[in-house]
Amino acid sequence: MTDDKDVLRDVWFGRIPTCFTLYQDEITEREAEPYYLLLPRVSYLTLVTDKVKKHFQKAMRQEDVSEIWFEYEGTPLKWHYPIGLLFDLLASSSALPWNITVHFKSFPEKDLLHCPSKDAVEAHFMSCMKEADALKHKSQVINEMQKKDHKQLWMGLQNDRFDQFWAINRKLMEYPPEENGFRYIPFRIYQTTTERPFIQKLFRPVAADGQLHTLGDLLKEVCPSAVTAEDGEKKNQVMIHGIEPMLETPLQWLSEHLSYPDNFLHISIVPQSTD
Amino acid sequence: MAEEDRESRLESFSFNMEDEFFGEKSFQHYCAEFIKHSQQIGDGWEWKTAKENLELTVDDSEVMESAAASQVIKYEYHVVYSCSYQVPVLYFRASFLDGRPLALKDIWEGVHECYKTRLLQGPWDTITQQWRTCLGLFHSVGCAPVPALLRELIEHPILGQPFFVLHPCKTNEFMTAVLKNPQKINRNVNYITSWLSIMGPVVGLNLPLSYAKATSQDE
Repeated sequence: MTDDKDVLRDVWFGRIPTCFTLYQDEITEREAEPYYLLLPRVSYLTLVTDKVKKHFQKAMRQEDVSEIWFEYEGTPLKWHYPIGLLFDLLASSSALPWNITVHFKSFPEKDLLHCPSKDAVEAHFMSCMKEADALKHKSQVINEMQKKDHKQLWMGLQNDRFDQFWAINRKLMEYPPEENGFRYIPFRIYQTTTERPFIQKLFRPVAADGQLHTLGDLLKEVCPSAVTAEDGEKKNQVMIHGIEPMLETPLQWLSEHLSYPDNFLHISIVPQSTD
Repeated sequence: MAEEDRESRLESFSFNMEDEFFGEKSFQHYCAEFIKHSQQIGDGWEWKTAKENLELTVDDSEVMESAAASQVIKYEYHVVYSCSYQVPVLYFRASFLDGRPLALKDIWEGVHECYKTRLLQGPWDTITQQWRTCLGLFHSVGCAPVPALLRELIEHPILGQPFFVLHPCKTNEFMTAVLKNPQKINRNVNYITSWLSIMGPVVGLNLPLSYAKATSQDE
């Protein structure tokens, strides 16, 4: 029987084989070969693609290069979403490698946030962690931490250091012994078929009678249309980190073990794969 | 008789400090009151519902004098309820009429001097220190830095487009202080009106005084 702690490692070290290709309309001085990279599921595009940027910039003139942005099959990729979420939501039914197109021109101002530096990624990441703790502990745990602890969380993510990260993050996974879980579960549910970017609501991990709420309970409450089968056939897959957890899984357990480093459960609902 | 009515109304929308300082129902109630007055004076606020997500929005056009020529800037403000922080959050963006977005430092330049001082010194200076790494963005605009509480672009939770935001992490703290006194003397207060009158001017949004008068007239 797998130890629960092994799950934490499996989640952290998940990778997606990706092929980066330069957009055909970019002006190049020499041939730009595609660039292959294993992307960490739990990180962010602009944090892990320095080598990609350097590779393509070598084939271009300095003046033709401005802010890099990525696109998959015409959809601009939001750098502030974790990589694994982007893949599950947009490309999980396609064959590997994940084919991403690289752009240096015509930044889509209406669709994407600018990412001026790594500081922007850090600011966004810490903001998400803060919001997650507001839900779990009324911000008490994260506010009690010292600045160096916050820094350690960020450095752990940036440098792919599991032990460094979890030395601090484990404190955010604790709860008072008299409770059976967090105050509310930090989660976001994504679907490409809806206009709204995601669904996020207040949801308790434990019912009034003390029973643990399950993933199925959550879905029934916040997006019932996505999972109820009208004719008995399963319409959609409910995916986290590329897998479909059983709907009977307690939400508290999922929150402690399958959250992203920002402490959110980022859940994708995608059409049932036909193969 | 009138005394009793007022008390019971305050109670049903009272702030339960323990659990939900400002729940979603309270948010809806105060927005409804706010919109009533807005419709009376015709200043353009709209109440939008997108399934279960609710927000107040208003478009403002302002003429900004620049060195070269005067340009029209369109400001958009959205008030959205955050269930994570259980407070309203102010999202805003500004663009030229041709759609070109304004950068944060351009918006900051348009803010009146006295509000700049307030935002830099007020109750927010401690947050600035604490969260400088987290919010991370201290630009220099001429001589005055843009405070860290003004977040650079964030995704609007309903529209999914880039907006600026006034970070909600300290709203609860200062609203508790703001609302303590009126509650002591049983005076009617519209949370949204009070909150918006504090946050708004900092980002160029001014509420007519008639809003405050409208609230006290409900007594």
